[in-house]
Amino acid sequence: MDTVLSKGVFSHFGLLEVQARNRLIRPQQSSRVKELKAEVAALKIKREQLKAEIQTHKTLQKLRLSVDKQSIDKEVEEMEEEFADTELLKLMAKHSHIKDLIYAHHLLGGYNIIKTNNDKAVCVSLATAYEGFYLDTYNLEIDLRSVLRISHHNIPPFIPLNSLAEQSNIQTDVKAFLELLSLHLNAYAGRKQQLKLVKEQFKSVEVMESNTLCTLLVLMFTASTKRTPVLCTLDYSDHTKSLPTRVLFECEDSDLPNSPEWKEHCSLLMETPVHKALMILRNVGDII
Amino acid sequence: MNKENSEDVKVLEAQIERLREELVELERQKQNNYKDMTFSFTGEMQNALSFVCGQTQGRRKEVVMSQLEEEVNKMEEGLRRQTQMNGINLDSCITKTLQRSENKCIQQLCISGHCSEQEFQVEFQLSEEKQGDSSVRTVSDLNIVMDTTDHQSFKNFMSGAKENNDLLLFFRTLRTYLERCNDRCRTFQHFQKKYPSVVSLPGGCRSEVMSLSHPQLPGLVMFIHWLVDVSKEGKVTSKMDLLTKIPERALQLFPSQALSGTTEAFQSLLRILGPEAAVESVIGAISLSEDT
Repeated sequence: MDTVLSKGVFSHFGLLEVQARNRLIRPQQSSRVKELKAEVAALKIKREQLKAEIQTHKTLQKLRLSVDKQSIDKEVEEMEEEFADTELLKLMAKHSHIKDLIYAHHLLGGYNIIKTNNDKAVCVSLATAYEGFYLDTYNLEIDLRSVLRISHHNIPPFIPLNSLAEQSNIQTDVKAFLELLSLHLNAYAGRKQQLKLVKEQFKSVEVMESNTLCTLLVLMFTASTKRTPVLCTLDYSDHTKSLPTRVLFECEDSDLPNSPEWKEHCSLLMETPVHKALMILRNVGDII
Repeated sequence: MNKENSEDVKVLEAQIERLREELVELERQKQNNYKDMTFSFTGEMQNALSFVCGQTQGRRKEVVMSQLEEEVNKMEEGLRRQTQMNGINLDSCITKTLQRSENKCIQQLCISGHCSEQEFQVEFQLSEEKQGDSSVRTVSDLNIVMDTTDHQSFKNFMSGAKENNDLLLFFRTLRTYLERCNDRCRTFQHFQKKYPSVVSLPGGCRSEVMSLSHPQLPGLVMFIHWLVDVSKEGKVTSKMDLLTKIPERALQLFPSQALSGTTEAFQSLLRILGPEAAVESVIGAISLSEDT
Protein backbone atom coordinates (compact mmCIF):
# COMPACT_ATOMS: atom_id res chain seq x y z
CA MET A 1 0.00 0.00 0.00
CA ASP A 2 2.78 2.31 0.87
CA THR A 3 4.47 1.59 -2.43
CA VAL A 4 1.31 2.32 -4.37
CA LEU A 5 0.79 5.55 -2.53
CA SER A 6 4.43 6.51 -2.90
CA LYS A 7 4.60 5.77 -6.63
CA GLY A 8 1.31 7.25 -7.39
CA VAL A 9 -2.04 6.03 -8.62
CA PHE A 10 -1.19 6.47 -12.34
CA SER A 11 1.93 4.42 -12.13
CA HIS A 12 -0.11 1.78 -10.33
CA PHE A 13 -2.68 1.84 -13.12
CA GLY A 14 0.21 1.51 -15.58
CA LEU A 15 1.44 -1.55 -13.72
CA LEU A 16 -2.04 -3.09 -13.72
CA GLU A 17 -2.31 -2.41 -17.45
CA VAL A 18 0.96 -4.23 -18.15
CA GLN A 19 -0.15 -7.14 -15.99
CA ALA A 20 -3.47 -7.36 -17.86
CA ARG A 21 -1.73 -7.25 -21.21
CA ASN A 22 0.61 -10.01 -20.11
CA ARG A 23 -2.33 -12.17 -19.08
CA LEU A 24 -3.70 -11.80 -22.58
CA ILE A 25 -0.39 -12.72 -24.24
CA ARG A 26 0.74 -15.46 -21.81
CA PRO A 27 -2.19 -17.91 -22.36
CA GLN A 28 -1.10 -18.28 -26.01
CA GLN A 29 2.49 -18.80 -25.06
CA SER A 30 1.74 -21.19 -22.24
CA SER A 31 -0.46 -23.27 -24.54
CA ARG A 32 2.50 -23.35 -26.95
CA VAL A 33 4.68 -24.45 -24.06
CA LYS A 34 2.07 -27.06 -23.16
CA GLU A 35 2.13 -28.31 -26.75
CA LEU A 36 5.88 -28.55 -26.79
CA LYS A 37 5.96 -30.28 -23.44
CA ALA A 38 3.44 -32.83 -24.73
CA GLU A 39 5.57 -33.42 -27.82
CA VAL A 40 8.65 -33.94 -25.67
CA ALA A 41 6.75 -36.48 -23.59
CA ALA A 42 5.54 -38.32 -26.71
CA LEU A 43 9.04 -38.41 -28.20
CA LYS A 44 10.44 -39.74 -24.95
CA ILE A 45 7.89 -42.56 -24.98
CA LYS A 46 8.83 -43.40 -28.57
CA ARG A 47 12.47 -43.44 -27.60
CA GLU A 48 11.84 -45.90 -24.76
CA GLN A 49 9.77 -48.02 -27.15
CA LEU A 50 12.54 -48.15 -29.74
CA LYS A 51 15.15 -48.94 -27.11
CA ALA A 52 12.97 -51.78 -25.82
CA GLU A 53 12.51 -53.11 -29.36
CA ILE A 54 16.23 -53.04 -30.01
CA GLN A 55 16.92 -54.82 -26.74
CA THR A 56 14.23 -57.42 -27.40
CA HIS A 57 15.58 -58.01 -30.87
CA LYS A 58 19.08 -58.58 -29.50
CA THR A 59 17.71 -61.08 -27.00
CA LEU A 60 15.70 -62.85 -29.69
CA GLN A 61 18.81 -63.08 -31.85
CA LYS A 62 20.68 -64.79 -29.04
CA LEU A 63 17.77 -67.14 -28.41
CA ARG A 64 17.43 -67.91 -32.13
CA LEU A 65 21.07 -68.89 -32.38
CA SER A 66 20.51 -71.25 -29.47
CA VAL A 67 17.33 -72.74 -30.92
CA ASP A 68 19.13 -73.31 -34.16
CA LYS A 69 21.82 -75.12 -32.25
CA GLN A 70 19.14 -76.77 -30.12
CA SER A 71 20.56 -75.60 -26.84
CA ILE A 72 17.87 -73.11 -25.97
CA ASP A 73 17.28 -74.24 -22.41
CA LYS A 74 20.81 -73.45 -21.34
CA GLU A 75 20.55 -69.97 -22.81
CA VAL A 76 17.27 -69.39 -21.01
CA GLU A 77 18.81 -70.38 -17.67
CA GLU A 78 21.48 -67.77 -18.12
CA MET A 79 18.88 -65.20 -18.95
CA GLU A 80 16.53 -65.93 -16.06
CA GLU A 81 17.88 -63.02 -14.05
CA GLU A 82 17.53 -60.34 -16.66
CA PHE A 83 14.04 -60.61 -18.00
CA ALA A 84 10.60 -61.20 -16.64
CA ASP A 85 9.29 -62.37 -19.99
CA THR A 86 11.70 -65.25 -20.71
CA GLU A 87 8.91 -67.73 -21.41
CA LEU A 88 7.33 -65.43 -23.94
CA LEU A 89 10.66 -64.59 -25.55
CA LYS A 90 11.54 -68.27 -25.81
CA LEU A 91 8.22 -68.88 -27.54
CA MET A 92 8.83 -65.98 -29.91
CA ALA A 93 12.25 -67.36 -30.82
CA LYS A 94 10.70 -70.77 -31.49
CA HIS A 95 8.00 -69.18 -33.67
CA SER A 96 10.51 -67.37 -35.84
CA HIS A 97 12.73 -70.48 -36.05
CA ILE A 98 9.89 -72.62 -37.37
CA LYS A 99 8.69 -69.90 -39.73
CA ASP A 100 12.16 -69.64 -41.23
CA LEU A 101 12.40 -73.41 -41.64
CA ILE A 102 9.09 -73.51 -43.50
CA TYR A 103 10.30 -70.70 -45.76
CA ALA A 104 13.53 -72.63 -46.38
CA HIS A 105 11.52 -75.72 -47.35
CA HIS A 106 9.67 -73.66 -49.93
CA LEU A 107 12.95 -72.46 -51.36
CA LEU A 108 14.74 -75.82 -51.41
CA GLY A 109 12.17 -78.54 -51.57
CA GLY A 110 10.16 -77.47 -54.52
CA TYR A 111 6.85 -78.70 -53.06
CA ASN A 112 4.61 -76.66 -50.81
CA ILE A 113 1.95 -78.73 -49.17
CA ILE A 114 -1.12 -77.28 -47.55
CA LYS A 115 -3.89 -79.38 -46.15
CA THR A 116 -7.31 -77.96 -46.75
CA ASN A 117 -9.57 -77.18 -43.80
CA ASN A 118 -11.62 -80.31 -43.86
CA ASP A 119 -8.52 -82.48 -44.30
CA LYS A 120 -10.08 -84.14 -47.31
CA ALA A 121 -7.62 -82.77 -49.82
CA VAL A 122 -4.15 -81.34 -50.13
CA CYS A 123 -2.95 -78.45 -52.26
CA VAL A 124 0.50 -78.97 -53.66
CA SER A 125 2.56 -76.22 -55.17
CA LEU A 126 5.41 -77.28 -57.45
CA ALA A 127 8.16 -74.79 -58.06
CA THR A 128 10.33 -74.88 -61.15
CA ALA A 129 13.73 -73.31 -61.52
CA TYR A 130 16.61 -73.30 -63.98
CA GLU A 131 20.14 -72.08 -63.39
CA GLY A 132 19.25 -69.89 -60.45
CA PHE A 133 16.04 -68.43 -61.85
CA TYR A 134 12.79 -69.39 -60.21
CA LEU A 135 10.30 -69.90 -63.02
CA ASP A 136 6.60 -70.82 -63.08
CA THR A 137 4.86 -72.43 -60.12
CA TYR A 138 2.26 -75.09 -60.77
CA ASN A 139 -0.52 -76.04 -58.42
CA LEU A 140 -2.63 -79.12 -57.96
CA GLU A 141 -5.29 -80.15 -55.56
CA ILE A 142 -5.36 -83.83 -54.71
CA ASP A 143 -8.50 -85.36 -53.28
CA LEU A 144 -7.57 -87.69 -50.44
CA ARG A 145 -10.69 -89.74 -50.19
CA SER A 146 -10.81 -93.47 -50.88
CA VAL A 147 -9.47 -93.07 -54.40
CA LEU A 148 -6.79 -90.42 -54.84
CA ARG A 149 -7.83 -88.05 -57.54
CA ILE A 150 -6.47 -84.81 -58.91
CA SER A 151 -9.34 -82.39 -58.63
CA HIS A 152 -7.91 -79.06 -59.78
CA HIS A 153 -4.67 -78.07 -61.38
CA ASN A 154 -3.03 -75.50 -63.63
CA ILE A 155 -0.64 -77.82 -65.38
CA PRO A 156 -0.48 -77.25 -69.14
CA PRO A 157 -2.28 -79.84 -71.25
CA PHE A 158 0.84 -80.96 -73.07
CA ILE A 159 2.17 -82.48 -69.85
CA PRO A 160 0.49 -85.92 -69.70
CA LEU A 161 -0.73 -85.67 -66.11
CA ASN A 162 -2.94 -88.74 -66.07
CA SER A 163 -0.43 -91.06 -67.65
CA LEU A 164 2.24 -89.85 -65.22
CA ALA A 165 -0.14 -90.55 -62.35
CA GLU A 166 -0.71 -94.09 -63.60
CA GLN A 167 2.95 -94.66 -64.34
CA SER A 168 4.03 -93.82 -60.80
CA ASN A 169 1.17 -95.54 -58.96
CA ILE A 170 -0.28 -92.41 -57.45
CA GLN A 171 -2.68 -94.45 -55.32
CA THR A 172 0.12 -96.05 -53.32
CA ASP A 173 2.91 -93.55 -53.72
CA VAL A 174 1.98 -89.88 -53.99
CA LYS A 175 5.58 -88.81 -53.45
CA ALA A 176 6.81 -90.82 -56.43
CA PHE A 177 4.13 -89.22 -58.59
CA LEU A 178 5.05 -85.71 -57.45
CA GLU A 179 8.73 -86.47 -57.97
CA LEU A 180 8.04 -87.62 -61.55
CA LEU A 181 5.76 -84.67 -62.27
CA SER A 182 8.37 -82.28 -60.89
CA LEU A 183 11.00 -83.86 -63.15
CA HIS A 184 8.82 -83.28 -66.22
CA LEU A 185 7.83 -79.75 -65.24
CA ASN A 186 11.36 -78.69 -64.40
CA ALA A 187 12.77 -80.15 -67.61
CA TYR A 188 10.08 -78.31 -69.59
CA ALA A 189 10.80 -75.08 -67.68
CA GLY A 190 14.50 -75.53 -68.40
CA ARG A 191 13.99 -76.02 -72.14
CA LYS A 192 11.60 -73.07 -72.28
CA GLN A 193 14.10 -70.88 -70.45
CA GLN A 194 16.91 -71.90 -72.81
CA LEU A 195 14.75 -70.94 -75.80
CA LYS A 196 13.98 -67.57 -74.19
CA LEU A 197 17.67 -66.91 -73.63
CA VAL A 198 18.52 -67.90 -77.20
CA LYS A 199 15.97 -65.40 -78.53
CA GLU A 200 17.25 -62.68 -76.20
CA GLN A 201 20.98 -63.14 -76.54
CA PHE A 202 21.42 -64.19 -80.16
CA LYS A 203 19.80 -61.82 -82.62
CA SER A 204 21.69 -63.39 -85.50
CA VAL A 205 20.25 -66.81 -84.78
CA GLU A 206 16.78 -67.36 -86.15
CA VAL A 207 14.32 -69.70 -84.46
CA MET A 208 12.66 -71.47 -87.38
CA GLU A 209 10.50 -73.86 -85.43
CA SER A 210 9.63 -74.72 -81.88
CA ASN A 211 6.71 -76.45 -80.21
CA THR A 212 4.81 -75.69 -76.99
CA LEU A 213 6.42 -78.51 -75.03
CA CYS A 214 9.81 -77.26 -76.32
CA THR A 215 10.85 -80.72 -77.39
CA LEU A 216 11.70 -79.69 -80.90
CA LEU A 217 13.84 -76.74 -81.83
CA VAL A 218 15.05 -75.74 -85.29
CA LEU A 219 17.55 -72.93 -85.50
CA MET A 220 19.21 -71.17 -88.39
CA PHE A 221 22.62 -69.69 -87.83
CA THR A 222 25.43 -68.56 -90.08
CA ALA A 223 28.72 -70.41 -90.14
CA SER A 224 31.59 -67.97 -90.39
CA THR A 225 33.33 -69.97 -93.15
CA LYS A 226 31.86 -68.60 -96.38
CA ARG A 227 28.94 -67.24 -94.35
CA THR A 228 26.94 -70.38 -95.03
CA PRO A 229 23.56 -70.70 -93.40
CA VAL A 230 23.26 -73.85 -91.30
CA LEU A 231 20.00 -75.37 -90.18
CA CYS A 232 20.25 -77.04 -86.80
CA THR A 233 17.60 -79.39 -85.50
CA LEU A 234 17.51 -80.22 -81.78
CA ASP A 235 15.34 -83.12 -80.76
CA TYR A 236 14.49 -83.51 -77.07
CA SER A 237 12.82 -86.89 -77.05
CA ASP A 238 13.47 -87.51 -73.36
CA HIS A 239 10.97 -85.20 -71.73
CA THR A 240 12.65 -85.45 -68.35
CA LYS A 241 15.80 -83.85 -69.69
CA SER A 242 16.64 -80.34 -70.75
CA LEU A 243 19.41 -81.51 -73.08
CA PRO A 244 18.68 -82.80 -76.60
CA THR A 245 18.85 -86.48 -77.49
CA ARG A 246 19.68 -85.75 -81.12
CA VAL A 247 21.34 -82.90 -82.99
CA LEU A 248 21.28 -82.59 -86.75
CA PHE A 249 22.98 -80.07 -89.03
CA GLU A 250 21.80 -79.36 -92.55
CA CYS A 251 23.60 -77.17 -94.98
CA GLU A 252 23.86 -76.42 -98.72
CA ASP A 253 27.49 -77.39 -98.46
CA SER A 254 27.03 -81.06 -97.69
CA ASP A 255 30.65 -81.46 -96.57
CA LEU A 256 30.33 -79.05 -93.66
CA PRO A 257 28.23 -81.18 -91.31
CA ASN A 258 30.67 -84.03 -91.76
CA SER A 259 33.77 -82.01 -91.02
CA PRO A 260 35.51 -82.86 -87.74
CA GLU A 261 34.86 -79.32 -86.45
CA TRP A 262 31.15 -79.56 -86.91
CA LYS A 263 31.00 -83.08 -85.54
CA GLU A 264 32.50 -81.57 -82.40
CA HIS A 265 29.87 -78.85 -82.46
CA CYS A 266 27.29 -81.59 -82.62
CA SER A 267 28.64 -83.16 -79.41
CA LEU A 268 28.81 -79.76 -77.77
CA LEU A 269 25.15 -79.16 -78.43
CA MET A 270 24.30 -82.59 -77.04
CA GLU A 271 26.12 -81.96 -73.79
CA THR A 272 25.66 -78.26 -73.15
CA PRO A 273 22.46 -76.22 -72.83
CA VAL A 274 21.80 -74.56 -76.19
CA HIS A 275 22.24 -70.94 -75.04
CA LYS A 276 25.63 -71.76 -73.53
CA ALA A 277 26.69 -73.81 -76.54
CA LEU A 278 25.84 -70.98 -78.95
CA MET A 279 27.83 -68.57 -76.77
CA ILE A 280 30.86 -70.85 -77.04
CA LEU A 281 30.45 -71.20 -80.81
CA ARG A 282 30.19 -67.46 -81.19
CA ASN A 283 33.20 -66.82 -78.98
CA VAL A 284 35.45 -69.16 -80.94
CA GLY A 285 34.28 -67.46 -84.13
CA ASP A 286 32.61 -70.45 -85.74
CA ILE A 287 29.26 -68.77 -86.06
CA ILE A 288 28.25 -65.19 -86.53
CA MET B 1 7.11 -12.73 -18.50
CA ASN B 2 7.41 -12.90 -22.27
CA LYS B 3 11.11 -13.40 -22.06
CA GLU B 4 10.73 -16.33 -19.66
CA ASN B 5 8.21 -18.01 -21.90
CA SER B 6 10.20 -17.56 -25.04
CA GLU B 7 13.17 -19.01 -23.27
CA ASP B 8 11.09 -21.98 -22.19
CA VAL B 9 10.01 -22.43 -25.78
CA LYS B 10 13.58 -22.28 -27.02
CA VAL B 11 14.69 -24.85 -24.45
CA LEU B 12 11.82 -27.16 -25.32
CA GLU B 13 12.36 -26.82 -29.05
CA ALA B 14 16.03 -27.66 -28.62
CA GLN B 15 15.08 -30.68 -26.54
CA ILE B 16 12.66 -31.82 -29.23
CA GLU B 17 15.34 -31.43 -31.89
CA ARG B 18 17.74 -33.58 -29.86
CA LEU B 19 15.08 -36.22 -29.21
CA ARG B 20 14.22 -36.37 -32.90
CA GLU B 21 17.87 -36.90 -33.79
CA GLU B 22 18.10 -39.59 -31.15
CA LEU B 23 15.06 -41.35 -32.62
CA VAL B 24 16.56 -41.27 -36.12
CA GLU B 25 19.74 -42.82 -34.76
CA LEU B 26 17.84 -45.51 -32.84
CA GLU B 27 15.73 -46.31 -35.89
CA ARG B 28 18.89 -46.67 -37.96
CA GLN B 29 20.34 -48.98 -35.31
CA LYS B 30 17.16 -51.04 -35.29
CA GLN B 31 17.20 -51.44 -39.09
CA ASN B 32 20.84 -52.49 -39.03
CA ASN B 33 20.15 -55.12 -36.39
CA TYR B 34 17.27 -56.45 -38.47
CA LYS B 35 19.64 -56.81 -41.40
CA ASP B 36 21.96 -59.03 -39.34
CA MET B 37 19.24 -61.46 -38.50
CA THR B 38 15.93 -60.88 -40.13
CA PHE B 39 12.73 -61.50 -38.20
CA SER B 40 9.20 -61.06 -39.35
CA PHE B 41 6.95 -59.39 -36.82
CA THR B 42 3.41 -59.82 -38.05
CA GLY B 43 0.21 -61.12 -36.50
CA GLU B 44 0.74 -62.82 -33.15
CA MET B 45 4.45 -62.07 -33.22
CA GLN B 46 3.70 -58.36 -33.44
CA ASN B 47 1.36 -58.65 -30.46
CA ALA B 48 4.00 -60.48 -28.47
CA LEU B 49 6.66 -57.93 -29.39
CA SER B 50 4.47 -55.02 -28.33
CA PHE B 51 3.72 -56.79 -25.07
CA VAL B 52 7.37 -57.40 -24.27
CA CYS B 53 8.20 -53.78 -25.04
CA GLY B 54 5.71 -52.52 -22.53
CA GLN B 55 2.66 -51.90 -24.69
CA THR B 56 0.40 -54.37 -23.00
CA GLN B 57 -2.82 -52.77 -24.31
CA GLY B 58 -4.63 -54.15 -21.32
CA ARG B 59 -4.03 -57.80 -22.25
CA ARG B 60 -2.76 -60.42 -19.90
CA LYS B 61 0.45 -62.26 -20.56
CA GLU B 62 -1.33 -65.62 -20.51
CA VAL B 63 -3.58 -64.56 -23.39
CA VAL B 64 -0.69 -63.31 -25.51
CA MET B 65 1.24 -66.49 -24.81
CA SER B 66 -1.58 -68.88 -25.52
CA GLN B 67 -2.43 -67.22 -28.83
CA LEU B 68 1.19 -67.33 -29.90
CA GLU B 69 1.45 -70.93 -28.76
CA GLU B 70 -1.57 -71.92 -30.83
CA GLU B 71 0.05 -70.46 -33.91
CA VAL B 72 3.33 -72.20 -33.12
CA ASN B 73 1.57 -75.57 -32.84
CA LYS B 74 -0.14 -75.12 -36.20
CA MET B 75 3.15 -74.17 -37.80
CA GLU B 76 4.91 -77.18 -36.28
CA GLU B 77 2.37 -79.47 -37.87
CA GLY B 78 2.86 -77.76 -41.21
CA LEU B 79 6.60 -78.16 -40.85
CA ARG B 80 6.24 -81.88 -40.10
CA ARG B 81 4.11 -82.36 -43.20
CA GLN B 82 6.54 -80.38 -45.32
CA THR B 83 9.51 -82.37 -44.00
CA GLN B 84 7.79 -85.65 -44.77
CA MET B 85 6.88 -84.53 -48.28
CA ASN B 86 10.26 -83.11 -49.16
CA GLY B 87 12.26 -85.94 -47.60
CA ILE B 88 14.66 -83.37 -46.17
CA ASN B 89 15.18 -82.49 -42.51
CA LEU B 90 16.12 -78.88 -41.93
CA ASP B 91 17.87 -77.92 -38.71
CA SER B 92 18.43 -74.22 -39.09
CA CYS B 93 17.84 -71.30 -41.41
CA ILE B 94 19.37 -67.89 -40.72
CA THR B 95 18.48 -64.93 -42.92
CA LYS B 96 20.43 -61.71 -43.29
CA THR B 97 19.06 -58.82 -45.30
CA LEU B 98 21.76 -57.26 -47.43
CA GLN B 99 19.70 -54.71 -49.26
CA ARG B 100 16.12 -53.62 -49.14
CA SER B 101 14.41 -51.03 -51.30
CA GLU B 102 10.91 -50.58 -52.60
CA ASN B 103 11.42 -52.81 -55.62
CA LYS B 104 14.27 -55.04 -54.64
CA CYS B 105 15.25 -57.17 -51.70
CA ILE B 106 18.48 -59.13 -51.41
CA GLN B 107 18.92 -61.65 -48.63
CA GLN B 108 21.63 -64.05 -47.66
CA LEU B 109 20.46 -67.40 -46.37
CA CYS B 110 22.38 -70.09 -44.55
CA ILE B 111 20.49 -73.35 -44.25
CA SER B 112 21.64 -76.59 -42.69
CA GLY B 113 20.01 -79.96 -42.40
CA HIS B 114 20.27 -83.60 -43.32
CA CYS B 115 18.78 -85.96 -45.86
CA SER B 116 18.91 -89.70 -45.10
CA GLU B 117 21.63 -89.11 -42.51
CA GLN B 118 23.71 -87.16 -45.00
CA GLU B 119 24.41 -83.73 -43.53
CA PHE B 120 24.59 -80.64 -45.70
CA GLN B 121 24.83 -76.90 -45.48
CA VAL B 122 23.89 -74.46 -48.20
CA GLU B 123 24.46 -70.76 -48.40
CA PHE B 124 23.19 -68.48 -51.13
CA GLN B 125 21.94 -65.05 -52.01
CA LEU B 126 18.28 -64.68 -52.83
CA SER B 127 17.18 -61.62 -54.71
CA GLU B 128 13.57 -60.70 -55.27
CA GLU B 129 12.82 -57.93 -57.71
CA LYS B 130 9.48 -56.47 -58.66
CA GLN B 131 8.98 -56.39 -62.40
CA GLY B 132 5.60 -55.04 -63.35
CA ASP B 133 2.87 -57.19 -61.88
CA SER B 134 5.03 -60.06 -60.80
CA SER B 135 8.31 -60.50 -59.04
CA VAL B 136 11.40 -62.35 -60.19
CA ARG B 137 13.31 -64.51 -57.73
CA THR B 138 16.92 -65.41 -58.37
CA VAL B 139 19.49 -67.49 -56.57
CA SER B 140 23.16 -66.54 -56.85
CA ASP B 141 26.48 -67.27 -55.16
CA LEU B 142 25.39 -70.76 -54.23
CA ASN B 143 27.74 -72.64 -51.98
CA ILE B 144 27.15 -76.22 -50.88
CA VAL B 145 29.04 -77.96 -48.10
CA MET B 146 28.67 -81.71 -47.96
CA ASP B 147 31.00 -84.60 -47.26
CA THR B 148 31.32 -86.44 -50.56
CA THR B 149 34.15 -88.81 -49.70
CA ASP B 150 31.81 -91.78 -50.12
CA HIS B 151 30.07 -90.32 -53.12
CA GLN B 152 32.51 -89.68 -55.92
CA SER B 153 29.98 -89.71 -58.73
CA PHE B 154 27.80 -87.22 -56.88
CA LYS B 155 30.73 -84.84 -56.41
CA ASN B 156 30.95 -83.90 -60.09
CA PHE B 157 27.28 -83.22 -60.34
CA MET B 158 27.47 -81.11 -57.17
CA SER B 159 30.15 -78.80 -58.51
CA GLY B 160 28.13 -78.26 -61.68
CA ALA B 161 25.02 -77.44 -59.67
CA LYS B 162 27.00 -74.98 -57.54
CA GLU B 163 28.31 -73.21 -60.62
CA ASN B 164 24.87 -72.90 -62.16
CA ASN B 165 23.10 -71.95 -58.95
CA ASP B 166 20.73 -74.86 -59.51
CA LEU B 167 19.43 -75.07 -55.95
CA LEU B 168 16.23 -76.99 -56.64
CA LEU B 169 17.97 -79.41 -59.00
CA PHE B 170 20.60 -80.12 -56.35
CA PHE B 171 18.05 -81.15 -53.74
CA ARG B 172 15.88 -83.09 -56.16
CA THR B 173 18.91 -85.05 -57.27
CA LEU B 174 20.29 -85.48 -53.74
CA ARG B 175 17.04 -87.05 -52.60
CA THR B 176 16.87 -89.49 -55.51
CA TYR B 177 20.56 -90.34 -55.27
CA LEU B 178 20.42 -91.10 -51.55
CA GLU B 179 17.27 -93.16 -52.02
CA ARG B 180 19.05 -95.36 -54.59
CA CYS B 181 22.08 -95.69 -52.30
CA ASN B 182 19.79 -96.77 -49.50
CA ASP B 183 18.14 -99.33 -51.80
CA ARG B 184 21.56 -100.70 -52.61
CA CYS B 185 22.56 -100.86 -48.95
CA ARG B 186 19.34 -102.64 -47.98
CA THR B 187 19.70 -105.16 -50.82
CA PHE B 188 23.33 -105.91 -49.94
CA GLN B 189 22.44 -106.39 -46.28
CA HIS B 190 19.53 -108.62 -47.22
CA PHE B 191 21.77 -110.93 -49.24
CA GLN B 192 24.46 -111.00 -46.64
CA LYS B 193 21.96 -112.09 -44.01
CA LYS B 194 20.46 -114.70 -46.25
CA TYR B 195 23.70 -116.22 -47.52
CA PRO B 196 26.33 -115.44 -44.89
CA SER B 197 28.79 -118.04 -46.10
CA VAL B 198 28.80 -116.82 -49.68
CA VAL B 199 28.22 -113.10 -49.47
CA SER B 200 30.53 -110.60 -47.88
CA LEU B 201 30.68 -106.83 -47.94
CA PRO B 202 34.35 -105.88 -47.97
CA GLY B 203 33.60 -102.19 -47.86
CA GLY B 204 30.55 -102.29 -45.64
CA CYS B 205 26.93 -102.07 -46.79
CA ARG B 206 27.40 -98.48 -47.96
CA SER B 207 30.05 -99.42 -50.49
CA GLU B 208 29.51 -100.22 -54.15
CA VAL B 209 30.81 -103.76 -53.96
CA MET B 210 29.38 -107.04 -52.77
CA SER B 211 31.67 -110.00 -53.03
CA LEU B 212 30.58 -113.58 -53.61
CA SER B 213 32.80 -116.51 -52.90
CA HIS B 214 32.55 -120.17 -52.14
CA PRO B 215 33.81 -121.15 -48.67
CA GLN B 216 35.64 -124.19 -50.08
CA LEU B 217 37.08 -122.47 -53.14
CA PRO B 218 38.85 -119.40 -51.80
CA GLY B 219 40.38 -118.46 -55.14
CA LEU B 220 37.08 -118.07 -56.92
CA VAL B 221 35.61 -114.68 -56.20
CA MET B 222 32.91 -112.77 -57.98
CA PHE B 223 32.08 -109.17 -57.40
CA ILE B 224 28.78 -107.47 -57.89
CA HIS B 225 29.58 -103.87 -58.63
CA TRP B 226 26.53 -101.66 -58.20
CA LEU B 227 27.24 -98.13 -59.23
CA VAL B 228 24.79 -95.30 -58.57
CA ASP B 229 25.75 -92.74 -61.15
CA VAL B 230 24.72 -89.11 -61.43
CA SER B 231 24.94 -87.27 -64.72
CA LYS B 232 25.93 -83.62 -64.96
CA GLU B 233 22.28 -82.84 -65.53
CA GLY B 234 21.15 -84.65 -62.40
CA LYS B 235 19.89 -87.90 -63.83
CA VAL B 236 20.44 -90.77 -61.40
CA THR B 237 21.05 -94.20 -62.91
CA SER B 238 21.93 -97.55 -61.39
CA LYS B 239 24.46 -99.74 -63.16
CA MET B 240 25.25 -103.26 -62.08
CA ASP B 241 28.17 -105.36 -63.22
CA LEU B 242 29.38 -108.82 -62.41
CA LEU B 243 33.16 -109.14 -62.27
CA THR B 244 35.07 -112.33 -61.81
CA LYS B 245 38.41 -112.86 -60.21
CA ILE B 246 39.81 -116.27 -60.92
CA PRO B 247 43.46 -117.36 -60.35
CA GLU B 248 45.59 -117.56 -63.49
CA ARG B 249 46.49 -121.21 -62.78
CA ALA B 250 42.83 -122.24 -62.66
CA LEU B 251 42.14 -120.47 -65.94
CA GLN B 252 45.08 -122.30 -67.55
CA LEU B 253 43.90 -125.66 -66.28
CA PHE B 254 40.27 -125.10 -67.03
CA PRO B 255 39.87 -122.75 -69.95
CA SER B 256 36.20 -122.12 -70.09
CA GLN B 257 34.23 -120.04 -72.46
CA ALA B 258 31.54 -119.80 -69.86
CA LEU B 259 33.75 -117.64 -67.67
CA SER B 260 34.65 -115.15 -70.37
CA GLY B 261 31.03 -114.59 -71.18
CA THR B 262 30.03 -114.04 -67.54
CA THR B 263 29.77 -110.28 -67.73
CA GLU B 264 27.48 -110.26 -70.75
CA ALA B 265 25.48 -113.15 -69.37
CA PHE B 266 24.88 -111.24 -66.18
CA GLN B 267 23.63 -108.23 -68.12
CA SER B 268 21.05 -110.45 -69.84
CA LEU B 269 20.03 -111.91 -66.51
CA LEU B 270 19.57 -108.37 -65.22
CA ARG B 271 17.37 -107.49 -68.13
CA ILE B 272 15.25 -110.60 -67.79
CA LEU B 273 14.98 -111.09 -64.06
CA GLY B 274 15.69 -107.69 -62.61
CA PRO B 275 18.50 -106.87 -60.17
CA GLU B 276 17.54 -108.85 -57.08
CA ALA B 277 16.57 -112.03 -58.87
CA ALA B 278 19.68 -111.85 -61.03
CA VAL B 279 21.95 -111.56 -57.98
CA GLU B 280 20.04 -114.35 -56.27
CA SER B 281 20.62 -116.68 -59.22
CA VAL B 282 24.35 -115.89 -59.33
CA ILE B 283 24.60 -116.71 -55.64
CA GLY B 284 22.67 -119.86 -56.32
CA ALA B 285 25.12 -120.81 -59.04
CA ILE B 286 28.12 -120.38 -56.76
CA SER B 287 26.56 -122.31 -53.89
CA LEU B 288 25.40 -125.13 -56.16
CA SER B 289 28.94 -126.02 -57.12
CA GLU B 290 29.31 -127.31 -53.56
CA ASP B 291 26.93 -130.13 -54.35
CA THR B 292 28.71 -131.21 -57.53
